[in-house]
Amino acid sequence: MSLDNPTTPQFKANARQALANENLQSALRGARNGFVNGRAAARAKLGPDEFDALRDAGRDLKNHVLANLGDYLEAYEAKVTASGGHVHWAETAEDARAIVLDICEQAGAKTVNKGKTMISEECGINDHLAAHGIKPVETDLGEYIIQLRGEHPSHIIAPAVHVTVPEVRDAFMEAHPHLDAERDLSGLDTLLAEARGELRAKYFEAEVGITGANMLIAETGQSIIVTNEGNGDLSQSLPKVHIVMASIEKIVPTMEDAGTVLRILARSATGQDMSVYTTLSAGPRRAEDPDGPEEYHVVLLDNGRSNMLGTEFQDMLRCIRCGACINHCPVYQTVGGHAYGWVYPGPMGSVLTPSLIGVEEGGQLPNASTFCGRCEDVCPMRIPLPKMMRHWREREFEKKLTPGATRWGLGVWAWFARRPALYRLGTRMGMAALRVMGRGRGKLASVPLAGGWTGSRDMPAPQGDTFMAQYKRAQR
Amino acid sequence: MSARDRILSRIRKAEAPAAEHLAAPVPGIASLEGAARIERFCAQVEAASATLSRLDSFEALPAALADELRQRNLPAAIRMGADPDFAHLDFGGLQVSHGPGRIEEPATLSRATFGMAETGSLVLLSGPDNPVTLTFLGETHFAVLQESDVKAGFEDVFAGLRAAGHDPRTVNFVTGPSRSADIGQTLQLGAHGPVALHVFLVAGGVE
Ligand code: SF4
Repeated sequence: MSLDNPTTPQFKANARQALANENLQSALRGARNGFVNGRAAARAKLGPDEFDALRDAGRDLKNHVLANLGDYLEAYEAKVTASGGHVHWAETAEDARAIVLDICEQAGAKTVNKGKTMISEECGINDHLAAHGIKPVETDLGEYIIQLRGEHPSHIIAPAVHVTVPEVRDAFMEAHPHLDAERDLSGLDTLLAEARGELRAKYFEAEVGITGANMLIAETGQSIIVTNEGNGDLSQSLPKVHIVMASIEKIVPTMEDAGTVLRILARSATGQDMSVYTTLSAGPRRAEDPDGPEEYHVVLLDNGRSNMLGTEFQDMLRCIRCGACINHCPVYQTVGGHAYGWVYPGPMGSVLTPSLIGVEEGGQLPNASTFCGRCEDVCPMRIPLPKMMRHWREREFEKKLTPGATRWGLGVWAWFARRPALYRLGTRMGMAALRVMGRGRGKLASVPLAGGWTGSRDMPAPQGDTFMAQYKRAQR
Repeated sequence: MSARDRILSRIRKAEAPAAEHLAAPVPGIASLEGAARIERFCAQVEAASATLSRLDSFEALPAALADELRQRNLPAAIRMGADPDFAHLDFGGLQVSHGPGRIEEPATLSRATFGMAETGSLVLLSGPDNPVTLTFLGETHFAVLQESDVKAGFEDVFAGLRAAGHDPRTVNFVTGPSRSADIGQTLQLGAHGPVALHVFLVAGGVE
C-alpha cells in the first residue's frame, strides 16, 4: 500500500491474502483478547454507569464543539499566537506536506523525529521529507519497527500489532549492522533495550520534532499528546523546533473538557485508567527555560473534514482515535489493518476513509462489515458507526459504483461462509445485519444479504448464539 | 482568500446542529477527600507500577534518596533543577548536578506541583526549577510531592493551575514509568522514558 495509491478498492483480495498469512494470523491472535478484556476491566473498575455517563458527556461535548467549531478554532489560534507559537492552516494533505517541509527547511533540518501521529500518515509526511533529503525517524517503538520494515501502521494505536517477535528480531539485525552480529536478541527485553539505545542517540540529533495531538484546548492554546513510551515528549522537548500536526476537529473548549475525554480515552484504548504520559504543551520554551523547543508550530489540517459538518457523517468527527471499535471488530480481528488499504482501518476507517479520499476509492470499506454493532457498543464517543456505514452504501449505490446492488452483500456473505472458522460468527453477524437493515429505510431495507442467505440452503445451520452471548457477558 | 479563511467559511456555512456546552459528570474516584484521597493516590501510584515512600519532612529527603539509590544499585549521584524546595537541603555525600537532562541520566529528581488521586498521576510543570527533560531522560526518575498538593481529580488540578497563575510550556501528567507493548504484544517497562518511577510523598500541609 502507498498512501497515494490506496489499495482500498481491493479489500476482498487483501482480505484473502491476510487470511492465508500465517504470521499475521498468529500476531492478530496474540492481540485480540488483551484489548477487549482490558477495556471491559477498566469499565468495570470505574463503574459501568459512571463510564457510560462519561461517554454521554463525551458525545455531548464534541457535538457542542462541532456546532461552534469556527469560533473555537479562532479562539485557539489566538491563544497559540499569544504564547509565541504559529498556527498554519492546511486545506489538503498536499498543503500540510508543503508547510511541514518549509518549516523543516527553515530550521536547516537533516533529521526529523516523529512522535506517533496518524495525521502525518494521512498526509504522507515521511515520504515527502525523504524525497527532499530530510530523514524522518519514527520514535514510537511500534512505528520504528514498521518504518524499518518499510510498512505503514496496521492499527491506529498499536501500529506494529501485525508484526511477530521473530520479525522484529530480523528487522533489528538488518537495521543495526553496527552492533555485534552475534549479540543475544532472544528475549523481549533485549529487543526493547536495543531499540531504546538506538533511539536515545537519535533524540539528540534531530533538529525538528513532529508530534500529533490528541486534543487542542481553545481556552489555553495547549496541544495534548497521550503516550505510554515517553517518545513523544523526547521528540518535542529536545529538538529546537516542535511541529504539532492536528486535524481541525481535535478542539475542546476547556482543560476540564479535556479531562472528560481523557477519562474515557485510555480506558477505551488500552484499558489503563490513564496512559503514562499526558502532556499539555503551549508555545515555545519560556525565556528562562533550560530545555524545550525554541519554535512551536501547529499545522491544522482540514482535508475533507469541514465537508462532513452538517451531513450524516458529522458524528464521525467526534472520534478520539481510541481504537476500541477496531479492537472489537470481528472483521478487523480476522484480516488485520493492512487489508483496509489506507491509513485508518476497522469500523472508524470504513466510515472515515470514503469521507477523506472519496467514495470511488474508499466506498468498498463500508461493505467490509458484518453490521454486528459491537463498534458502536464500545465507542466512547457513541458514534453510530453501523448507521454511517449504511449511509455510505447508500451513496455508493446512488453513484452506481456497485454493479448490481446486492453484489457486495453477497460477496461478503459468501466470503465468510466459505471459511468454516468464521462461518458461525459470520452467520450471527449476518442475522444481526438483516435485523438492522429490516429497520432501515428505502432501497437498503431490501438490499444485501437476504438473497444470498436463502439461496444457499446447503450450508450448515448456524449453531447457537454463544459468540454474542459471550461477548455481551464480557462487556457488561 | 487564504486557506484559513476558506476552511473557516466552509465550517460556518455547514449547518452543524446546535448543541450546548454541558457540565460533565465527575466520577466518584475523582471526588475523594482527606485520608481516602491520599490512600487512593498511593494505591493508584503502585497500580501504575511506580513505587512510593513517605517522608515526614523535606529534610528527610537526602537520606531517603541516598538509601533508594543504594538499594537500586545506582551511583550516588542525582540530577535536578533549581527548585527552591531542594536548594536548602544538604545532600551530603550525594553528587548533585543541576540542569536539563543529558543523554545518559541514571537518576533524576523533580518536584511535582500536584498529585492526582483519581489516577495516581504526578503533575509536573516545565521550567528552570524542574526541567522537563529530567522527567523523560532519567533511567530512574524520583519525584517529590507534598501531601497537601494531592488533588482529587482533573477538576481540582486544573483549578489549582489556574489559581496559581502557572503558565509553563508543558504540564506533564505522569502515571507510572514508561512502557510499551509494541514487541510481541507483551507489556514491558522502560520504553524510552524511565524504567522506574519513585514518589516521595512528604507529610504535612493538609488542614
Ligand atoms: S470511532 Fe469511536 S471507538 Fe472507534 S476509534 Fe473513534 S472514538 Fe474510538
